[in-house]
Amino acid sequence: MTAEIGTIVISMDELAVRLGEAFPGELADIRIQDPDTVIAQVEAAGLKGIARRLHDLPQIAFDSLTLISSVDYKTHFECVYHLYSFAANRYLELHVRVSRAKPVLDTVSDVWPSADWHEREAWDMMGIRFEGHPDPRRILLKDDWIGHPLRKDYVDLIENHPYV
Amino acid sequence: MSDPVVNVSDPVVKKAPDEAMELALRRIREADAAGKPSDLGGMALDQVVVNMGPQHPSTHGVLRLVVTLDGENVRDVIPVIGYLHRCKEKLAEKRTYYQYIPIVDRTEYVAGINCEWGYVLTVEKLAGIVPPRRAEFIRVIMAELNRIASHLIGIGTFVSDLSPLGTAVLFYMFRDREPVLDLLEEATGARMMFNYFRFGGVRFDLPPGWEQRCRDFLGRLPKLIDEYEKLLDRNAVYLQRTVGKGVVTRQDVVDYSLTGPLARAAGVPFDLRRTRPYSVYPELDFDVCTEQHGDVFDRYRVRMNELRESRKIILQCLDMLPGGPVQVGTLRPPYVITPPPGSAYTAQENPRGEYGTYIVSDGSRYPYRLKFRDPCFVNLQILPKLMRGNRIADAVAISGSMDLVLGGIDR
Amino acid sequence: MGVTDDLPTLANLKNNLPPSVADRLRYPKVEQFQQPNVITTTVDLIFNWARSHSIFPFTYGLACCAFEMLTSGFARFDIARFGWEVFRPTPRQSDLMIVAGTVNEKMGPVLKLLYDQMAEPKWVVSMGACATSGGPFYDGYNVVNGVDKIVPVDVYIPGCPPRPEALFDGLLQLQQKIQQMSYVSSNTGAVDLCESKWRAPRAEGGRGVQQCFLEPRE
Repeated sequence: MTAEIGTIVISMDELAVRLGEAFPGELADIRIQDPDTVIAQVEAAGLKGIARRLHDLPQIAFDSLTLISSVDYKTHFECVYHLYSFAANRYLELHVRVSRAKPVLDTVSDVWPSADWHEREAWDMMGIRFEGHPDPRRILLKDDWIGHPLRKDYVDLIENHPYV
Repeated sequence: MSDPVVNVSDPVVKKAPDEAMELALRRIREADAAGKPSDLGGMALDQVVVNMGPQHPSTHGVLRLVVTLDGENVRDVIPVIGYLHRCKEKLAEKRTYYQYIPIVDRTEYVAGINCEWGYVLTVEKLAGIVPPRRAEFIRVIMAELNRIASHLIGIGTFVSDLSPLGTAVLFYMFRDREPVLDLLEEATGARMMFNYFRFGGVRFDLPPGWEQRCRDFLGRLPKLIDEYEKLLDRNAVYLQRTVGKGVVTRQDVVDYSLTGPLARAAGVPFDLRRTRPYSVYPELDFDVCTEQHGDVFDRYRVRMNELRESRKIILQCLDMLPGGPVQVGTLRPPYVITPPPGSAYTAQENPRGEYGTYIVSDGSRYPYRLKFRDPCFVNLQILPKLMRGNRIADAVAISGSMDLVLGGIDR
Repeated sequence: MGVTDDLPTLANLKNNLPPSVADRLRYPKVEQFQQPNVITTTVDLIFNWARSHSIFPFTYGLACCAFEMLTSGFARFDIARFGWEVFRPTPRQSDLMIVAGTVNEKMGPVLKLLYDQMAEPKWVVSMGACATSGGPFYDGYNVVNGVDKIVPVDVYIPGCPPRPEALFDGLLQLQQKIQQMSYVSSNTGAVDLCESKWRAPRAEGGRGVQQCFLEPRE
């Protein structure tokens, strides 16, 4: 694998069109953010399949996951997957909505190994569970912390603070 | 599991849970149950779980490594982080955009200017602010100076773990870091936590005479780099400890999204200043330093070469520095900005890799959600893979060569 | 039984001596001095001079302040001119714990464990705003607002990060504090640190007010 950067020269509009064709109906609301990012909405149910196919796309494979952000809009959660294609030197942001009542997503750590710790952090901070994750433990807080701090309705309990 | 040596009477210490240790022990039990043989030809060996605890002279910060050892060979490493988690992402929701700039400084405290720049870039993208040209050049100069200081620490602490000769090199590097900090202190007012960048420029202009002092220092820098290379590059012990250890392949770079010197040493020319240029980098002439093998020695070579490249960049900027204001005229006290609702992600080339910031704004004075993409957090995931199969002595070399700063990993 | 009580053991002899003989047999030990005198003050002088001028710091560098602590050990700000350059990485060989950086709930038990592993006499310096009171992260959910909630602190050094010169100023004040130590438990008003009897109590349950005064250990 050579991992040369930017060997495929592709304009943003053409990239958006190609992605729309490769994933008909699954990538909704494709828009372009300057200078080199395509943003799209994805359904939570189809995430795993889309992830695998994005990773294996011919020519412009999005083979690298740089970040998974989790955002708490008060009515739902949203997971943002920031993907990067070495060959095309372009970024893709996938926004996945998750309900607050059942914040569960499929793990993508078997497609992109770098998702491992990002998913652990999303669980730790926001409480979004990833099914099939090999090591679902808290990562930044201590192991018996109660609650998920980055939620907007987080209340800090005294049990978390032996040293008041 | 109570420590038999120390009489632990503090109930908090006794009750502190330790899932990482239990995970390590569980893996050993499962491997034994599955009948995996040890490598030493049938000798029954007990695997030992050693805790390179959060306080350790060689882990460079509060990183805890739960190492499963088979004699001297490392079988498994579980890194445990979070000992410096300072709730930065939650604090972002309680501070205005301006009030948050000093806190971003303290994310990767060794390269504060670069971290500020990453944050400021995203907010400027959200709010649509374009800084003046002089400010852009000053930003590049400060960032590259901070890159020099950061690489000196990164290389110095790494070689200092390998041998006392390395500690001598560390002494020289700290000595040479002082002129850089003096220059930064004259311009920004602080030695380490600069609080210098603003949305739309920088806070102060360069003081008079600063450019000449900067050129004097940059004139002396090549001799200093030569001195370090003379001490290390052909040192037999150093080569034996670093060549061929901790090899990162190109497939790893893609799979684990590695960035920075870790990726460039493996041969992938991924440098955000070239692949996703920001500020005035398209106008500057510099090389992306890459090496071929991806081992510990190559990472050290990449950092040394980047010292020289940074010097080239700063000299060019000093030559091309235009006049003009250093801050966009519309921003005045009380320094409250309210970017329009939306979200943006920008990334900046930190000395350690891609430092990205993802901000979601809802139109108010406080960020709605701020998420850091820290290079060391992502790079640390490959540490278990690199350490397996090596000796425990190499573990120190490998983790040191990754140049981890726990402030960024834990945020 | 009653038979063993009459046998002339040493304990029996000591207890049954006439007072005049017992007084002469009891030779004075340094610990038995009720008031400081020339012997105890000379001993104090020598021990305190040795202790204060050759402190072995324990580098508990957690965060950004650790780099200013490191810088103070190197060429421009030389900590060796004070005699404190022997930074030990293990608590068992060090006297002074310089807590440089933010302590959070996950690190708290580790800090206490390391403090307990240090041998007496030991001192703690909290370097930087984070170790003193939480610093710029004071309202974080995971941050302990000041290291004195976990271990007793002798000198607080403010700053974010404090310059190496500020660190030296704090350590010189600690030097003066050490030089007031006394071998003898005296009522002359000197600070009694010889057994490190001071500890900071933890607030008992609930969100009570944090008690700021130190009380001696039983």
